[in-house]
Amino acid sequence: MIIFLLPRRTEGGWTYTSTVGVALHRDGRPNMSDGQIVVDGLVKHYRQVRAVDGLRFVVRSGKVTGFLGPNGAGKTTTLRMILNLVRPTAGMATIGGVRYPDLRDPIHTVGAVLEASSAHRGRTARNHLRVISTAAGLPASRADEVLELVGLAPAARRKFKGYSLGMRQRLGIATAMLGDPTTLILDEPANGLDPEGIRWMRNFLKGLAAEGKTVFVSSHLLSEMELLADEVIIIAAGRLVTQGPMEQIIKSSTAQTTVRVRTPQADTLTLSLKELGGSVTAGDTGALLVTGLEPPAVGAAALRAGVELHELVAEQPDLEQVFLQLTEGKAVIR
Amino acid sequence: MTRAIRSELLKIRTTNTWWLMGLGMVLFTGLALLINGLNAHFELQPQTIDDDAPAEIREEMIREENERYSEVHSAAGIAKIAANMYTSGQFFGVLFIMILGGLIVTNEYFHQTATATFLTIPHRTKVIVAKLFAAVVLGFGGWLLTTVINLATTAAVFNYEHISMSLDRWDVHRTILLNLAAFAVWAILGVALGTLIRSQIGTVVTGCVVYLIGLAAAEVVFGLVHAYLIKEDWVITAEVIVPSIASMIMVTPGEMYPHAAPQWVGAAVLIGYALVAGVIGTLITRRRDIS
Repeated sequence: MIIFLLPRRTEGGWTYTSTVGVALHRDGRPNMSDGQIVVDGLVKHYRQVRAVDGLRFVVRSGKVTGFLGPNGAGKTTTLRMILNLVRPTAGMATIGGVRYPDLRDPIHTVGAVLEASSAHRGRTARNHLRVISTAAGLPASRADEVLELVGLAPAARRKFKGYSLGMRQRLGIATAMLGDPTTLILDEPANGLDPEGIRWMRNFLKGLAAEGKTVFVSSHLLSEMELLADEVIIIAAGRLVTQGPMEQIIKSSTAQTTVRVRTPQADTLTLSLKELGGSVTAGDTGALLVTGLEPPAVGAAALRAGVELHELVAEQPDLEQVFLQLTEGKAVIR
Repeated sequence: MTRAIRSELLKIRTTNTWWLMGLGMVLFTGLALLINGLNAHFELQPQTIDDDAPAEIREEMIREENERYSEVHSAAGIAKIAANMYTSGQFFGVLFIMILGGLIVTNEYFHQTATATFLTIPHRTKVIVAKLFAAVVLGFGGWLLTTVINLATTAAVFNYEHISMSLDRWDVHRTILLNLAAFAVWAILGVALGTLIRSQIGTVVTGCVVYLIGLAAAEVVFGLVHAYLIKEDWVITAEVIVPSIASMIMVTPGEMYPHAAPQWVGAAVLIGYALVAGVIGTLITRRRDIS
């Protein structure tokens, strides 16, 4: 196969665009539907640790994709490699088909909120945003617009050191929105937000995805992620565990439905459930947790044994259970 | 590139550091002007010769004093005093500018703003070059500030002493311009030091040690080598490889001390250091993981 390399003048010098395979970038700015993130065999070795070990996945546009993994799974390192902040040992990542450093107007294409993204303590939020707008060639008025967007306008002229954690997260989002990007990458954006802030963030990100943008969010908060994400990517120990739509991931899991029953005659019921092949453990406040049997079977067994029931609830596995099951034993400290 | 430079200048303008440093510079320049002004005043006075001295020695002393007095009051003598006045505050001003240059870089790591900076401008070389430009602008600002204060104060002092400000002389112009060169080169050295060291406190301490203690330490070391090991004059000339000595040689008209290297060598050494440190710092920054 012959690959033609066409030289093209960019701001930073000459870029060579291959003419086969994916059309890399006709004008350096991918269109809306093109903002997908492709991670292709990313590897990062630190001295002793394989932080990221051959990771491969695709984040599609028009959806919120959750990026999950235990502590030290390599989430932050992966996000930073996508953004050219950390050099991969091998592999590469593209956004809309273009490597981050080759983007002509990076912050018009990608907005990022990273855990460590911060501002000079002595600089006001507005000036912080103006510094970045200036570097990106945006008008200073854009700073005021994004402050309005995230609800920080009243605190615009306050110095960063006076900001609460929640306000800092909002400023991070404002920074990411400066260039009105087609792709958003957020590392633990819910950290430090109060319940109202978390709900605001959820609606905000869902709204962006509805506009066709690519939204890629890492988080530890699994219940929050279940409400927010359409798709999930789960990694552990630097490797991909699973990827797919949220519902499918939860359904396909082998985590079983648990039936919670409450009865004054716990011993009798336990006996008859065990005869049917169910396993019974004592839950909190005297309830019994039954696995291996469907709710109707549990109800029928109680009727046959003449046991009085006060409660019978089927508990579906949630993302947390699926996550714990999938990453069990992989969350070792490395 | 223009955007990157404007962004760097805005970064400097939107925090307190620049005017605090400016204030420090004004204070030290004022102090230096006071000392230099008093020196100039006493140098310009005729000195009284002790009446008790034996006649033949006294005659010799009067002759020497007359010679000194006419030399000081010659056009070249006045120009020398003027040049000294016009560069008052250079020693600490340059130190402040170097520290500011270092902070331009280390602030990015200390306040974790490097992430946002490199996300906006992924070509890191461009960021460093913009910082170098911004540092030179700062150096120019520092030079302008101190020079304006020096000119105004000197005008008042020289008016009182009834001597010429010597602003029509090339040697005076040259000294003022070399003062600017010192501010610019040390600003660049500060940026280079920041990219190499990255730690805020590490950069400031290293900068101060190189600038302040390096001078004295070098004189002791080179003096000892010259006295006991290599009794050749080139050892003394070689002192120019120490940055702070190179700087002083660069800004001092004529020979700073016996066997000192020529002025241009001082300038070349400083520019060499700025280039080497800048290139190494840029290469490191390009490869560095930002986390």
